[in-house]
Amino acid sequence: MMATTGQTSETPVRRARLTRLCRFKAALWFIIGAAAVLAVLRFLHGLGATTALTDLTPWGFWIGFDVMGGVALAAGGFVVAATVYVFHLERYHAIVRPAVLTAFLGYLAVIGGLVFDVGLPWNLWHMIIYWNPHSPLFEVGWCVMLYTLVLSLEFAPVVLESAKHPTLARVYNLLKKATIPLVILGIMLSTLHQSSLGSLMLIMPHRLHPLWYTPILPLLFFISAIGLGLMMVTTEALFSAYLYEHEPEMELLKGLGKAASVVLWIYFVIKMVDLSVRDQIGALFQPSFESVLFWIECLLSALIPAMLLSIRRVREHPIGLGIAVGTGVIGFVMNRIDVGGLATVAVTGTRYVPSWMEVVISCGVVAAAALAFFFVAEHFHLFHAGPVRADEFRHALPEWDPGTMVVRPDPYTWGPARYSAMAVLGAAVALALVPDYALSGGALRDQPVTAPGFGDRIVLDGNRTGLAVVFKHTDHVSRTHNCALCHHMVRPEEQATGCSHCHRDMELETNIFDHSLHAKRVEQGPGCSACHDPGFPPGDASHTKPCLQCHTKMVPSGATIKPKSAPWIGRAPGYKEAMHGLCIPCHKQKASAEKPALWRCATCHPASGTPAFDPLRPDERGNMEH
Amino acid sequence: MKAILTDVTRCIGCEECVEACRRVNGLGEERPYRWIRTEDRLSADRFTTIVRKDGYFIRKQCRHCLEPACASACPVGALHKTPEGPVVYDSEKCLGCRYCMMACAFGIPRYSWYSPVPYVRKCTMCYETRIRKGLQPACTEACPVQATIFGERDELLKEAHKRIAENPNKYMPKVFGETEVGGTLVLYLAPISLDVLSLGLPVGDDPLPLRTLPAMMAVPPAFIGMGVLMGGLYWVIERRNRLRSEQSDAKDDKISDTDSDQKEGKE
Repeated sequence: MMATTGQTSETPVRRARLTRLCRFKAALWFIIGAAAVLAVLRFLHGLGATTALTDLTPWGFWIGFDVMGGVALAAGGFVVAATVYVFHLERYHAIVRPAVLTAFLGYLAVIGGLVFDVGLPWNLWHMIIYWNPHSPLFEVGWCVMLYTLVLSLEFAPVVLESAKHPTLARVYNLLKKATIPLVILGIMLSTLHQSSLGSLMLIMPHRLHPLWYTPILPLLFFISAIGLGLMMVTTEALFSAYLYEHEPEMELLKGLGKAASVVLWIYFVIKMVDLSVRDQIGALFQPSFESVLFWIECLLSALIPAMLLSIRRVREHPIGLGIAVGTGVIGFVMNRIDVGGLATVAVTGTRYVPSWMEVVISCGVVAAAALAFFFVAEHFHLFHAGPVRADEFRHALPEWDPGTMVVRPDPYTWGPARYSAMAVLGAAVALALVPDYALSGGALRDQPVTAPGFGDRIVLDGNRTGLAVVFKHTDHVSRTHNCALCHHMVRPEEQATGCSHCHRDMELETNIFDHSLHAKRVEQGPGCSACHDPGFPPGDASHTKPCLQCHTKMVPSGATIKPKSAPWIGRAPGYKEAMHGLCIPCHKQKASAEKPALWRCATCHPASGTPAFDPLRPDERGNMEH
Repeated sequence: MKAILTDVTRCIGCEECVEACRRVNGLGEERPYRWIRTEDRLSADRFTTIVRKDGYFIRKQCRHCLEPACASACPVGALHKTPEGPVVYDSEKCLGCRYCMMACAFGIPRYSWYSPVPYVRKCTMCYETRIRKGLQPACTEACPVQATIFGERDELLKEAHKRIAENPNKYMPKVFGETEVGGTLVLYLAPISLDVLSLGLPVGDDPLPLRTLPAMMAVPPAFIGMGVLMGGLYWVIERRNRLRSEQSDAKDDKISDTDSDQKEGKE
């Protein structure tokens, strides 16, 4: 089996072909580097600064892809183990190890993803001591923990078989003997949590769109996990064959493909029957975001791969098989993302698009799992043919050459891969330099900053209506004592907060309209009904007489509230710009040879030890009295 | 159980309840929109708010369901229903999965997104600070017009039905919170439909925890059943293979059994 090792790697042809793997690895290292930098941001600044999650969409890409998708993608481990050990289909033995490794790394990736998504990851172990058996998530958590343990024991023999130490050898023998019980325990645990991931969503009929919400969601999740497991094992076998330049074991893979097609047809039929039983067929043909999503998902996950895999010629050709199972894998990951979040967003009337940081961190977790897979493939007896040409892949991991400051994954590889570590470092520095307002969605536009002492009155288009009023700035400062009320920290162009945000209720004192004065004026005459329609509550603006009906010449010339069309008026500057505009010009001016510190950021923004600058109380900054 | 009755027709929208809540619970300044990210202005720094609809003021807060979905969903039981009624939160247990926020039909629990050590925040009916001392919550105490009042749930329900009977034209003929999702401790009387308080699709009167219950009840039988099934299959196939190989040894038969195996494996 291990015929093509050793000497063949010295031929130029071999060297040239190594680039495929090395380039792929370089890309993975790059993604991991970017994700690592973002991970720092995530844990320093919290979920709010790095994700697009909101109070009304608290679950997003990390749950849908990393957790729901990751667990489903790792289903191949139990499916193949069952095929070989329980059903005694020994000829599939060749793919047991890669499948179990994929599953093991998949679960580690799920846990890795959870560490980012969960707010307090250092409390994840609490599930062990605090029990709530009513919660599907509690059950999923336990199963994932136990199954990861089982998978590590199932996989341990691969690592231990070359160990010489007698104790390790004894452990190896023990684990070998325990294979069947471990496999059966793994199947039992997988059955539970693959389906319970569907049970998770049963408690939210208000969120999950009716096309997906069904009491048999756990069953659908379980069946699709089997189908996806078969297709993922096939994908992984084809892809590693492509990268490692060996012939894919098509004899086995076409068998898996055939089995997958049967499972997919069953899944599709159950899904359609379920839709008709729940009387939701009509919803399939209503033009809505969800129906389009459902169609795409159904086609990709079930219909297209099921049909392709039913054709013998497609199944038997590596490219045809790859396209079929690749479509299915994408479709089912999409299914998990839909159920885990995408199909709940529009229903609740909110909006969620994952931030680029969420996506990069997810990719980083997957990339780490992939690199771990390659590591095992190159060091242990993973594939049937033995360790993948260990001699050839000896240089596959980056080597740092201090003399030339160059990182070389392989002396013969193509240029960009050679500099992969440098690229990661560069990207890390570049990302670290990105200002935080850019990270939190939408960079600020350059705004001319009005210097302090600009006077009491400025012309302002507060409501973004194209109409401007003369705005008494100092008056508002003295009334509110809170700059951040109008100048938002990082959201200078928001649409919601304009003048009308405070000036909305006519009877409130803050309004420019003097309610008590009007009440006094109409007291003798028509009373409240002069303005308020008596049949409706006083707050109902649509049944209240507009000002212009009495005040035909509403504003006297020269009045500060006279609206005028002012398309040239910009928006209020952001908080930071406003503050810096106030402080920096004077500080710069007054900084001299004796006081150079006056014109340094750290003078006002101390690193640590001193009280932090509170943006909401800018005038109570005790540490800034210079 | 303790409860709160809010009469929407009486509320003048002064937000005294919001201020009292902020004072008693020691809530910080409200953050700019960037961190709140909701329209109703409930946030980790604001447990109650006034929602405006058709000119009426509707006070929004945690409904303290009789069968709370959040408490049922929490994997570590960080949220639980107290004997007095309020649903409270234990930040020591919480691991931050935010399943409670997904499960709540009213979209009440909020998260301190801006913090590197975030917690779930919501109204606790002032459980620790006031209810356990025999006091009423800060919000109901602060209300200048008794639009929101505190008491035993049975008595408040009686009072609510009495008000409806006295002024049938003034109110919708139903006490909001009497039956929704199995009933809530926070009840409303209103002249308009209060669908604005719930999130997403209507869920009816069945408690949400009952939706996951069948699936959770099926867990132990599924676990054991799968184990028995797999163990049985293993044993049966193993035995058949062994018998067959013994037979073929004896007869020196050349029949291969791979084809029949292959067909069975696809199930």
